Amino acid sequence: MELVTEYFMAILLFFSFITLIFYGFPVAWTMGGLAVIFTLISMLSDTYLDTFFGVDWKFASMVVYRLYGVMANWVLVALPMFILMGILMDKSGIAEDLMTDLSKLFGRMRGGLAIAVVFIGVLLAASTGIIGAAVVLLTILGVPLMLKNNYSRDLACGVVCATGTLGILIPPSIMLVIMGDQVRISVGDLFMGAVFPGLLLSLLYTIFIITYAYLRPEVAPAPKSAEPVTLNIIFRVFKSIVPPALLIVAVLGSIFMGIATPTEASGLGAFGAWLLAIVRGRLSFKDLKSVIRKTTHTTSYIFALFVGATMFALVLRGLGGDELIEGALKGLPFGPNGVVIVVLFITFLLGFFLDWIEITLIILPFLAPVMVDLGVDLVWFIVMFAVVLQTSFITPPVGFALFYMKGVAPQGITIQNIYKGIIPFVILQVIGVAIVFNFPKIVTWLPQVAYGP
Amino acid sequence: MAINLTETSALDKKLQLEHLPFTKKIDNFVTNVGEIFNWFWVILVAVILINVILRYVFRNGMIELEELQWHLYAIGWLVGLSSTYVVDGHVRVDVLTDKLGYKKRLWFEFFGILFLFLPFVILVFIYSIPFFELSWASSERSTSANGLPARWFVKGFLVFGFFLLLLAGVSRITRVFVTIRSKFGLGK
Repeated sequence: MELVTEYFMAILLFFSFITLIFYGFPVAWTMGGLAVIFTLISMLSDTYLDTFFGVDWKFASMVVYRLYGVMANWVLVALPMFILMGILMDKSGIAEDLMTDLSKLFGRMRGGLAIAVVFIGVLLAASTGIIGAAVVLLTILGVPLMLKNNYSRDLACGVVCATGTLGILIPPSIMLVIMGDQVRISVGDLFMGAVFPGLLLSLLYTIFIITYAYLRPEVAPAPKSAEPVTLNIIFRVFKSIVPPALLIVAVLGSIFMGIATPTEASGLGAFGAWLLAIVRGRLSFKDLKSVIRKTTHTTSYIFALFVGATMFALVLRGLGGDELIEGALKGLPFGPNGVVIVVLFITFLLGFFLDWIEITLIILPFLAPVMVDLGVDLVWFIVMFAVVLQTSFITPPVGFALFYMKGVAPQGITIQNIYKGIIPFVILQVIGVAIVFNFPKIVTWLPQVAYGP
Repeated sequence: MAINLTETSALDKKLQLEHLPFTKKIDNFVTNVGEIFNWFWVILVAVILINVILRYVFRNGMIELEELQWHLYAIGWLVGLSSTYVVDGHVRVDVLTDKLGYKKRLWFEFFGILFLFLPFVILVFIYSIPFFELSWASSERSTSANGLPARWFVKGFLVFGFFLLLLAGVSRITRVFVTIRSKFGLGK
């Protein structure tokens, strides 16, 4: 309780933020503006109420130096490049082709279409990080097709939401770039650490779909009209998978083998995606203009949050937010693993209110030093942190992804369908977190191998 | 997987903001400036490509090019803040506000810009000016021997970016106000 009174202002700032964003004003400016308002309050309080926060205009003006720090951050150059790569891949129509071809390949199998969705989600996870975008894309591509083939609405919704959010975890993910940058660990390590947990989750999804479709054929029936799988179909699947798969492997491979930095790999990846779009004849000059405009909009949408969060975090720290979190966590009567569980649980709850960008920029920098003090492996911690955030975004009733999906779902899909459909996947996520928690090797093995013993 | 910002700005359509001649001018100006700077992403790809080729083929990466990368990236998003703002591309949590009345949403937007957006943008703008001036006065350059000269140039874009953002904010709050006045007869 001592912490509460001592850091009253920091707590108030944080909760004002969580309340205020639901009034629909852009999140970035809400963070920045609240920080300015709290600077003013703490100045008045220092003057008239005899407190000593020391947060005044001079303190707040340090935000300019912090912003310059963001500008001069070479690691973050990878963000617009990965975003450009993702938009170009989207523009090239690869996702549509994949959906058509994969649905033919898996079409005769029960649950095959749902598995195709998982496959596409994993393969094109590159560059997503904007949860809304991936969920929207998969909803538009996958849901009508599944419904046409008499899949249960619940299952169709669940698969799309879960897979759409999985993209924020699977490298090259812009979320991991930002997280790595915030806690000052190598982005390459983080990418490597996330590979197997990401694959593990998609494997869990696939096993669930196959089992569920086997036990209850009516939820995901094999279409009656599906054509037999011929060599021609296999060849076409091969043709549509190889180029994007090669691109992703090249980008990740060059990072993992130390040939290129993540920044360089992102630039080369964008170039590769551009070639891919050109070869497929999908990129006129007008398209290119709209691609770079979208790149600006998506990049600046993220950096507006950077700008706002920089101000917010500065003032929050000035009001003692870091000491508050450190004091609260170190005061817990558990060992390191217990603290990790508590932190992950709180992160899960915060994910209901805040998007990963805000959580990463505001909360994570406060958590990282405490974790280091406790001797927790940061790569392992961050990968779990990421999986927990993803889980939070698909957990009813307030998971963000569920609302994005509702926004673009075909008529007849109710929010109840989505809620019911996602529950098994939330359970799979929890199983996934539990496995990674108990077997840290899943995360740490690849980085260790890459660097030798 | 692109996010379609014209779709995410559905709220903007719902607000049905009216324009005045000068707000239209501001928005067009900000948008046109943004259209030019969008090309920085293409240049950035080229610069990265050239630097990687230089390093692997000629075993000689250039510090200048590496610095140029973050210069381009920083300028790209700083200018983009305002062109994104004009199309209402900054993320909102509008799960609950969708159910609010039209008038209330307009007022929320008005007070949001007045008490949150403007104070913050003005604060950064004001303090970015001496930050830029210091760099200009001392003709600051890169600390690396082979680095780029004229560090004030990129720092100037912090001022410029927030100036554009301020312009866009003034335009938007005017539009919200005009809309409230014409639809609900405030002050008439």
